[in-house]
Amino acid sequence: MWTLPILLIVVTILISIPLSSYFASVMDGRLKGPRVIAWCQSRLDSGPQNWKQYAVAMLIFTGALFTYGYLVLCLQPIAPLNPLGRGILAPSTIFNTVISFMTNTNLQHYSGDQSLSNFSQIFFILPNMFLSASVGFCALTAIIRCFRGEPTVGNFFVDMWRVVVFIYLPAALIAGVVFIWQGMPMTFASQHSVATLQAGAMGLDSHGQAVPQHIIVGPVAATIPIKMLGTNGGGFYGMNSAHPLENPTAISNFETTFLMMIFPFTLVLMYGRMLRRVRHSVVIYGVMLAMMIGVIWWAINFDTLRPNPAFTGTPVAHAYHVADANAPGGSLAFTVPKVASLPVDQALGNLEGKELRFGTSAGAVFAAITTDVTCGAVNAEHDSLNPIASISPLVGMWLNCIFGGKGVGMINFLIFLIVGVFLAGQMVGRTPEYLGRKVGAREMKLAMVALLVHPLLILGPSGVFAATPWGTEAVANPGPHGFSEIVYQFSSSSANNGSAMDGLGTTYGLNNNPSPAPEAVPWDIATGLVMLFSRYLPILAPMAMAFYLGRKKPAPASLATMRDDTWTFGFLILGTILVIGALLFLPVAALGPLAEQFGPIPFGG
Amino acid sequence: MLRSASKSLWLLLFSVVLTCGIYPLVLWGVGQTFFPFQANGSILKGPGGKPVGSALIAQPFTLDEYFWPRPSAASYDATAGTSSALSVSNYALRNRAATMIGPVATYSAGPKKGQPVWPDINAWFDADRFEGKPGIVAQWADAHNELAQGWVTADPSHASYVDGWSKAHPDIVAQFVKENPGTPRPQASDLAVVFFEHFSKDHPGTFPCSVTEPGAGGKPVTTIAPAADCADIRADFFDMWRQDHPDAPLAEIPGDYVTASASGLDPDITLDNAEFQLNRVANAWAKDLKRNPVEIKSQIQAMLQSRTVSPGGGLFGGPIINVLEMNLALRNRYGAPP
Repeated sequence: MWTLPILLIVVTILISIPLSSYFASVMDGRLKGPRVIAWCQSRLDSGPQNWKQYAVAMLIFTGALFTYGYLVLCLQPIAPLNPLGRGILAPSTIFNTVISFMTNTNLQHYSGDQSLSNFSQIFFILPNMFLSASVGFCALTAIIRCFRGEPTVGNFFVDMWRVVVFIYLPAALIAGVVFIWQGMPMTFASQHSVATLQAGAMGLDSHGQAVPQHIIVGPVAATIPIKMLGTNGGGFYGMNSAHPLENPTAISNFETTFLMMIFPFTLVLMYGRMLRRVRHSVVIYGVMLAMMIGVIWWAINFDTLRPNPAFTGTPVAHAYHVADANAPGGSLAFTVPKVASLPVDQALGNLEGKELRFGTSAGAVFAAITTDVTCGAVNAEHDSLNPIASISPLVGMWLNCIFGGKGVGMINFLIFLIVGVFLAGQMVGRTPEYLGRKVGAREMKLAMVALLVHPLLILGPSGVFAATPWGTEAVANPGPHGFSEIVYQFSSSSANNGSAMDGLGTTYGLNNNPSPAPEAVPWDIATGLVMLFSRYLPILAPMAMAFYLGRKKPAPASLATMRDDTWTFGFLILGTILVIGALLFLPVAALGPLAEQFGPIPFGG
Repeated sequence: MLRSASKSLWLLLFSVVLTCGIYPLVLWGVGQTFFPFQANGSILKGPGGKPVGSALIAQPFTLDEYFWPRPSAASYDATAGTSSALSVSNYALRNRAATMIGPVATYSAGPKKGQPVWPDINAWFDADRFEGKPGIVAQWADAHNELAQGWVTADPSHASYVDGWSKAHPDIVAQFVKENPGTPRPQASDLAVVFFEHFSKDHPGTFPCSVTEPGAGGKPVTTIAPAADCADIRADFFDMWRQDHPDAPLAEIPGDYVTASASGLDPDITLDNAEFQLNRVANAWAKDLKRNPVEIKSQIQAMLQSRTVSPGGGLFGGPIINVLEMNLALRNRYGAPP
């Protein structure tokens, strides 16, 4: 039960410490590697860039990646490695998918096993996963160099190359071999057909012959290591890390979870090492770790340690009275009726949508961590979590800085840091400072832009979709849970997370699909735009902020300076994050998961 | 600008060569050389050496001789694995569990301890009163319109039965059209609730059950007819029976017996679930082989024990059994079930 999360956290911490010094030496260019790699790097080096040139290079490269991705997906019907003859995806789905993978979100409005050929899995998914994960990494590096007060922030293309070659590729190769050993397919074939042991158990075809079971295989073990290491999260199969061929055993599940945690953990320490402020980064690390332990505990406590209320029934009827001026008598009465329990042994917790082979608490642990580190892979069905437990993954996406994605999690945290020192400065009546530099009006404005993009892009579209058929026709579950599904989808898009409550009908599928989800197109477009804006604005604004802050002269520390490497500072930041997060998102949590948990179960017929 | 564009293309080119070429080929080489079984999908060989399934993918079993996997929202289709995506508050989730429990529920205490519940469900259904009011089937259809419609669309024979009924009752259909001007030409599923309301009145204590009889030419013919006992009644009306008998002591069914996995392809069941199914499996084999059920049961029990594994060696979870491998072992030991 608790062994799994404890072991995961301990192992990740222990490995992140030495790894962070390796990362720092890679990003500082102290690692050269073989001649061919150095040659490639020299081809890419366009000279030192200032922050604007760096950002422009990042955007231009993003444009190139977008075009490349679009082309590859459009080529699917005529490309090789497509023995099952998959056609072209729906246009809106291509738009959504290309943005989704380019922005490291990996929200999937298609099902990999049903709609993609092995060509697309290799030539679309793989490079996107390596490169989009590297972008956030490089952005953080640029910000660090700004804070160091360096006049230039390095070269974007060189940084990207270093991250891919020295960090992601070797780690992915090692991880991939372990995955294959555990049972993950690694083949260029697409499908096996087998005659079931109980003849005809899959049904009979029109000639009265037993239907075989078709099993989709492919280069799974190549996609999954980088899917997890890059906190991408887009599965080879539709059901992601819950699928037995994408996550065959408890060991592969441990490895999967570890891989998505390790780099976000390491990057926080790399930040400290590169700034020579290790103690400061340890405080940040501690704050993030405290929040992560909190959400993991919450998920286990309310999902693994509690039964699924669908089966337990409601032993006693409740009546609620809500004040309403228009109702007769001034109040409306709501009754939660008595419902008899079903005789189900729920000692293992809520098992709906869970796989057994990972271990008892594995689904809850994974659900909590996958949104903290903005991975978005899932090994359980988030729709079927106990409603109150589903707050845990939602909080991970709403705060988006509990370690967070590659680099961007640390960047998001930076915004909270700036707001935190600003609040503290206001309280004691001093000009706020960060890293010895005074935080001025311009820096605060940029920080607020970065901070507010996220809630605006979640709450705005959620409201629109909840009020129109775009949302109401797409939800698959009744009442408050339908609202949760809509909020979850936009939270996941805006946090660049990519997990989903799968009941939401967002899948169009292949372009010739005769019965697509009715509202798939508006969902494709809306979430596509949300992913785009919520990816680049919160990278660009902090980069600008870091530049303006970094060029100021650091003031020598005095007795009146607020120290940023103490636990007091840690509590200040933790408080800032929790207060801002709660102010922004508590109302939607009340309308969705809380209303479902404490309302009538079952809800309607 | 232009310089960045050309460097972008170089970066893309190098990355594609590395990540789409070298990287997967290295893993493919390692996988096919050192782990060919795993790298090709863990395909098991069945009797006769033919591939029978993947050790990692659940496949359907319905015969009593075999252990059954967890219910699958994907119907065990390994090209389209999926979860149920049912929320806790969705009645469909409770209903699935209830329909699976009804036929296998037993009493856990009292004078009927160990005995099945279904004879009591039948007796209660015959009396045709739910919460003191007559007409169980009508109340069921009123409370759960979607289940009533689901019954009609579940099988072509159901729909044609309702069509036959609606042709015989044009007055009721006309009344329905008058009340629902939005559906001027109602289909069988539109009429589901009305159909069950009248069915309940006309045939109290019965349900439209499938009856399969040898027809002309020896080909079995399935027809629908009102019946007082069939599998559907035990399954579909267990939840209503339970509401009328909330305090009856019932034995708990293992959770994974009634819950669907996230992939719909979970290859395992818990040891509890396997032991829950053990009597059914052992009795079926004993009957087929004309052997002592106690002896068969202890043999299968020993097979279960030897095949039990625990996630992470027991660090992460309790004992589970791979269903396909277990059933393959049964098949190899006792032969093909008739």
